[in-house]
Amino acid sequence: MTDASKGLGVGASLRRKEDARFLAGQGRYVGDIVRPGLLEVAFLRSPVAHARLAGVTKPPGSESSVFTIEDLPEVRTIRANSALPGFRVSEQPVLARGKVRHVGEAIAACVAASRAAAEDLAAACGLDYEALPAIADMTTAHLPGAPLLHEDWPVNAFLEIRRTDDVSGLDAIAAAKVTRTLRTARQCMAPLEGRGVLAEWDPRLEQLIVTTSTQMPHVIRSGLADCLGLDEGQVRIVSPDVGGGFGYKGILLPEEIVCAALAMRLGRPVRWLEDRFEQLSASANCREHHYVITAWADRAGKLLGVACEAIVDAGAYSSYPFGACLEAAQVGSILPGPYVLPLLSCHTVAACTSKPPILPYRGVARTGVCYAMETTLDALARKLGITAQAIRLANLVPPQAMPYRNLVGKVFDSGDYPEALRRAVAAIDVDRIRARQAAGEAVGFGLATFCEQGAHGTSVYHAWGIPFVPGFEQAHVRLSPDGVLEVRVGVHSHGQGMETSLAQVAHQILGIHPDKVRVVLGDTALTPYSTGTWGSRAAVMAGGAVAEACRQLADRIAVIGAALLQVSRADVTVEEGRVRRRGAEGSVGIADVARTWYRAPQNLPPGVDRGGLEITAGYRPDPDTGTHSYACHAVVARVDLETGAVVLEDYVVVEDGGTLINPLIVDGQVLGGLAQGIGTALYEEMPYDGDGQPLAATLADYLLPGTTEVPDVRLEHMATPSPWTSFGQKGIGESGAIGPPAAIVNAINDALAGLGAEVTDLPASPSRVLAAIEAARRRRP
Amino acid sequence: MKRIAIALTVNGKAVEVVAEPREHLADLLRGTLMLTGTHIGCEHGVCGACTVEIDGVPQRSCIVHAGSCDGASVRTIEGFADDAVVAALRESFSREHALQCGYCTPGMLVVARDIVLRLPDADEARVREELAGNLCRCTGYRGIVRAVLGVLADRRAGSSRAEPR
Repeated sequence: MTDASKGLGVGASLRRKEDARFLAGQGRYVGDIVRPGLLEVAFLRSPVAHARLAGVTKPPGSESSVFTIEDLPEVRTIRANSALPGFRVSEQPVLARGKVRHVGEAIAACVAASRAAAEDLAAACGLDYEALPAIADMTTAHLPGAPLLHEDWPVNAFLEIRRTDDVSGLDAIAAAKVTRTLRTARQCMAPLEGRGVLAEWDPRLEQLIVTTSTQMPHVIRSGLADCLGLDEGQVRIVSPDVGGGFGYKGILLPEEIVCAALAMRLGRPVRWLEDRFEQLSASANCREHHYVITAWADRAGKLLGVACEAIVDAGAYSSYPFGACLEAAQVGSILPGPYVLPLLSCHTVAACTSKPPILPYRGVARTGVCYAMETTLDALARKLGITAQAIRLANLVPPQAMPYRNLVGKVFDSGDYPEALRRAVAAIDVDRIRARQAAGEAVGFGLATFCEQGAHGTSVYHAWGIPFVPGFEQAHVRLSPDGVLEVRVGVHSHGQGMETSLAQVAHQILGIHPDKVRVVLGDTALTPYSTGTWGSRAAVMAGGAVAEACRQLADRIAVIGAALLQVSRADVTVEEGRVRRRGAEGSVGIADVARTWYRAPQNLPPGVDRGGLEITAGYRPDPDTGTHSYACHAVVARVDLETGAVVLEDYVVVEDGGTLINPLIVDGQVLGGLAQGIGTALYEEMPYDGDGQPLAATLADYLLPGTTEVPDVRLEHMATPSPWTSFGQKGIGESGAIGPPAAIVNAINDALAGLGAEVTDLPASPSRVLAAIEAARRRRP
Repeated sequence: MKRIAIALTVNGKAVEVVAEPREHLADLLRGTLMLTGTHIGCEHGVCGACTVEIDGVPQRSCIVHAGSCDGASVRTIEGFADDAVVAALRESFSREHALQCGYCTPGMLVVARDIVLRLPDADEARVREELAGNLCRCTGYRGIVRAVLGVLADRRAGSSRAEPR
């Protein structure tokens, strides 16, 4: 590969191919698509957290435009099971049946020519219910005597999971032991575009076509077909431009199923667009964890063991496809973090509460677990009188140990974790912070080190037994007669720039200019099966599949090209978009090869592969236990002791995502995740009252970070290739969202250390910071 | 349902429409006028995704009643095709990776253009303050802020870099 062509392939900060349409306002989202005769849906939703539902009174004359579950007897419940021992699967009706189990649960679908008229219908419906006690607190939900949300269950818990190493001897030998009780807030992922569904029945194809804002069209197809009793050939899922996903759109929606059933019933296109009030009130569905964590260390700060009692608020139902326990079941396996940990005892409960069903949000359980581990490490360091960097350096997995299998069996593929820490610390003038502290300033320095498992595959997920297990990722590549390369993949893009990154991968192998590579995503009719875009898997899995397909295509191109050059296959290579003779003059363009196959087949060599110039190839890394990107976040935070406000003065990220396919895009992923992590750390919280009512109804109550809250982050890359992936790339899409709560709260607690105050609960809002200061003052008057 | 007649100018063209009294401008633009580049993010005036120019001033079209726009001149993202400042911003947004999913982008561009024209000497702090009413959930804002600062710097320098390619 020449330098010129490297400028467009793997490693190039190519500007995004998709930018032009978005900058022109020509992105095409579900809400932009209309059909003749379109009907709009508004849902009548539960105003209470837990109630026995006696009935819905439809407004007079609206019997054929208001639908309850009794009107949809053909529709099955959503059932997302798991093979984890002891898992209790919920039956989630697509519209409430007999009971409602969280505020915002859909009860009836109201259909009209406009959304406004549909909302009028919903407002005119009567709702007869008998309120039951809410199960709003995860820490008491699973205790005996609590009212049961699913009445055939013995307790309000989807799962309890234990790992029991014997830590009883550590008190006697440890130089220090700390215990902390920590809590993270319930959040709403809040992509700027809400969910949206447009369902229509095509009588010619006898096919249901559902255009929906989803990250995983193929999985939705399977789930939808199952719930509607259709065969999968009768369902096509189209996911157009998606206005942000972050996990919020990695779910089979009850609303998708209802809209599809109504489109078939009514013979008209049916559309539902989630509005922000619906999103905040019905779908604050992530991140809420509670920890009681104890850690022991020796005098040098080396960890001797960790014990943890964790609770994850999993909400009311097990969502399809990931189920209710993706987070709870991972708490114990993520807790060791990037460290050498000899002993771990961890008990985690996935509590079932009268709140929206949990979904995995960017970072999934890692954001909470990293927060618990990293703040506890800092507490240990303070107790031992050593620095935050020293305690981490004493425990980080050293580079010479890679690949490293930790005590829970996770295998870290490559990297130099201590070096990331050293670089991050070196980027900040810690001495100056200490001087400012000595002068009485409430300023602090905080660190977080962590790793992110991404693109883990069959060997990991089959143990979960969720409704799908990712296998070989496939890509289809096809040369068109004019030499344009079409690349079809089943993952989707919702801001990640896959149309560009995958074109760069194709260019890397074939040398075709990225402008002449057309990446097709988001349509089950046009793309090979994939479990979709989640788990930081697309760059590794789809990137690998596209590379493999292009390599196989290159061979077929070479055979035809060699014939056109009248030399043997062994005497040519494919590079820079041409078939070239090795060590001799003479070449033929890939476009000429394409023209030959399609339009001048008389010139094809005898014995040419009859499969032509299109190939579907599968790819899976070996081993497929996942890549581990890792990072160190270093923060300087200033606390206003009067108001409790926190200002981020400086933020440094040293990140290792292996080989970067497009550094510009990777930076965007890290920085975007980081802003979300800052929201988790300082601003975002959906409070619920004791009756299970969500208390933030607008974006003026649920605070998303803006330009004045997110600092100009300094981002530095290391690039240790993964030994297991096609170009050494690692999954990195969630990393930015993992570290900020830990690093920021560590900085706050460093700033407050002189007062003996510690923040324990997220977000570290002004009121929580002030409460921590006040509590410290009361302890030592 | 009562309907009211509205005559307004949209992207330089006179249009006459009828709307329900409760209809907001964003719905009118996206629905009746099929200008779907104006995006709806919150419908309560916080996120800024629906920002359009009304009589030369950026405003949130989700909290403007369509009926109040009789006689107004409205410009949406579709109406800036010939605008040199927006052309420069488009170039710099792409260069700085100031967009990911594209949903906030039209509103960001309308506000960014206003900043560039109204505050030619704005520094980073001022640009951040001015952009604070437009939420982006994808980028972390660094690219957006740098893109706006880049156009401001180019205009101050009189550089040709701001010209669209």
